[in-house]
Amino acid sequence: MNGCCGKKMTVRVRFFAPYRALFGGKERLLDLDTGTTAAGLLDILGDSPERREALFENPAVGAPGLLKPHLVVMINGAELSSRGGPAAELRDGDTVVLLPLMGGG
Amino acid sequence: MNPSPFGFFGRYLEVDLSAGRAQARPLDPALVADYVGGRGLATRLFCDEADPSADPLGPENVIVIAVSPLVGTNAPTSARGHMVFHSPLTGVIGTSNSGGGWGFTFKATGYDALVIKGRAPEPVWLDLTPGETKICPAGALWGKDIPALTEELTAGCETGDRPRVLGIGPAGENLVRFADVANDRNRVYGRGGPGAVWGSKNLKAIRVRGKEKIRIHDPERYKSGYDQALHLMRQAPVTKRLLRELGTAGLVELINVIGMLPHRNFQDCAHRDEDLERISGETIARTILERAAGCYLCPIGCQRHTRISRDGLADESGEGPEYETVVLMGPSCGIYDLEAITTANYRCNELGLDTISFGGTVACAMELAEAGLLPADRTDGLDLRFGNAGVLEKLAVATAHRRGIGDLLAEGSRRLAEKCGRPDLSMSVKGMEIPAYDPRASFTQALGYMTSPSGACHLRGGYAVSLAFFGGAKEIPRFSLLQSPIAIRNMQNTGILQDSLGVCRFTGYAFGADPWSRMLSGVTGMDFSIARLEEAENRIAALERLFNLAAGATAADDALPPRFADTPIVIAGEPRAVTRDYQKRMREDYYQVRGWDAEGRPTAELSSLLRLAPPAWRKP
Repeated sequence: MNGCCGKKMTVRVRFFAPYRALFGGKERLLDLDTGTTAAGLLDILGDSPERREALFENPAVGAPGLLKPHLVVMINGAELSSRGGPAAELRDGDTVVLLPLMGGG
Repeated sequence: MNPSPFGFFGRYLEVDLSAGRAQARPLDPALVADYVGGRGLATRLFCDEADPSADPLGPENVIVIAVSPLVGTNAPTSARGHMVFHSPLTGVIGTSNSGGGWGFTFKATGYDALVIKGRAPEPVWLDLTPGETKICPAGALWGKDIPALTEELTAGCETGDRPRVLGIGPAGENLVRFADVANDRNRVYGRGGPGAVWGSKNLKAIRVRGKEKIRIHDPERYKSGYDQALHLMRQAPVTKRLLRELGTAGLVELINVIGMLPHRNFQDCAHRDEDLERISGETIARTILERAAGCYLCPIGCQRHTRISRDGLADESGEGPEYETVVLMGPSCGIYDLEAITTANYRCNELGLDTISFGGTVACAMELAEAGLLPADRTDGLDLRFGNAGVLEKLAVATAHRRGIGDLLAEGSRRLAEKCGRPDLSMSVKGMEIPAYDPRASFTQALGYMTSPSGACHLRGGYAVSLAFFGGAKEIPRFSLLQSPIAIRNMQNTGILQDSLGVCRFTGYAFGADPWSRMLSGVTGMDFSIARLEEAENRIAALERLFNLAAGATAADDALPPRFADTPIVIAGEPRAVTRDYQKRMREDYYQVRGWDAEGRPTAELSSLLRLAPPAWRKP
């Protein structure tokens, strides 16, 4: 997770539906080490048992970071998978969105 | 007298309104084995009586309402009914499903289905109890809105023996082509204009009351499926709490995030976040929500019972708005005013208008007006510019009563746009207005609209929104031309199963066919393995297609309006349009996946494989 030369980048994280109450707001601006991946970001966000429980299938710290099936993560409006999945490296200025799978209509 | 079969009664009621006669008829158990119930059974009974060449608003049209073998049990969400008719909006099959308790109580009158033919010489309503059907004069009820109608027909009844009422409002009486039929005051058979068909038959309402019970063949097997279903619904966040907390309008911001939320008659999908926050599910929950509620037997609870306070006016309460209503009366009309949307929603509920088609038609009228094709002298002086929230409620009332501009809107967006010389400005497929998901943002959803049997309906055409969310996580990217045909076929088939079982779409967020297979087999004692259910789904899809072809539909009708091919929207930095070539490729592959020929016709070989007897259409 440590980026080269200690350089930092800023990533905007937006929360929707139940994740707003869970993370205490609509969005956060995070200064991250360059090279931080989506999985690394989620690991940082999972800073309490309750939050880890909401994000990961296995909430234990250090366990494989398989995401909850009802959690949708998008980077700049595109599905995480189109950026290579949780291993996707984030870039300065990226917007990451956390929302639940939901239907209606 | 022989005992009834397990799970159903083995009889349906046929009402000939022209002759003023009602008659119980035996239901062949093979029809339940092959078509399950609900949508499947109603489609089969309809096709055996229908004349596809006849005027949908003429006496030849047939209405069939059917319930499933699960209706009458306590299976979650299983009180739903299904209505099939020849749609006056689209000219193809009308097929609509509703929650509420009417389906459950109808089953308790001792029938599995109801077939309505002919036209009463004067307005009537039907009073159904076990063993007796009365055709009653409805002159005094004609003109009443749905709450008043319901009140009138249930007044004085004991709570424990309370009848349930299914009926139309003024919109249906006035043959508005997208009039709905409502039960429990606000649960509606919404799409395709069933209310207009009722109105054309002079049928105002059907009241049901009864306590007939079905027999269950294997309670243990039923219970194993039931327990599994309930367990899974309590696990999945959507069915466990999200829909109860936020309602379906919880989708507003989420659908915007994935670039799919229509704006100004689908001209684009660009909104300001602060505008959407004014109409979001969270805002509804925080401001106007009185309580969440569920349909009969539903543990999910997505209904919104709301209250509006307006300066100088008495408070009003009612149901809604739901996601589709919020978006199609809201951003798709350039409107972000929750109070105006909710008030217009109340009027639609009371008067009997489908809110999706109403919103889509108003958005079309606004674009025509801004293009100078609907001058003020044709709009009763109303300023129909996008964003003018003040016109919504007035237009709902005018449309339901066909007054002034309302008479034009009552024809739906396709006829309105044709009349104004710009048919391309109707955002519809087969004449049915497109729901609140822009097809350019999911090719799977686009194909669903194109191939839905009833026109652009997300419930009959397949609900691809979950695919849009999941994207590649489930290996079905939303822009995959190759995978969309099979994905949407599967989603359509899931919908056919749910409609035929009489259960809610939202159960699909918790589980698939397995618990239903066990419950249905347990109730009936018949083999409803998943393979048998899939065969039934394909049989029902083919039968619906045969009706549409006989009614004159062709492959050319399985297409989107030109805007979606010609004008891209930008999603995640990429311009996206569903070009004509893309549509052609997906359409051809879809036909192949369905086992239909290149023109979209189910082949004789397929019919033989599916044991589908082609209907002998009734001749004029």
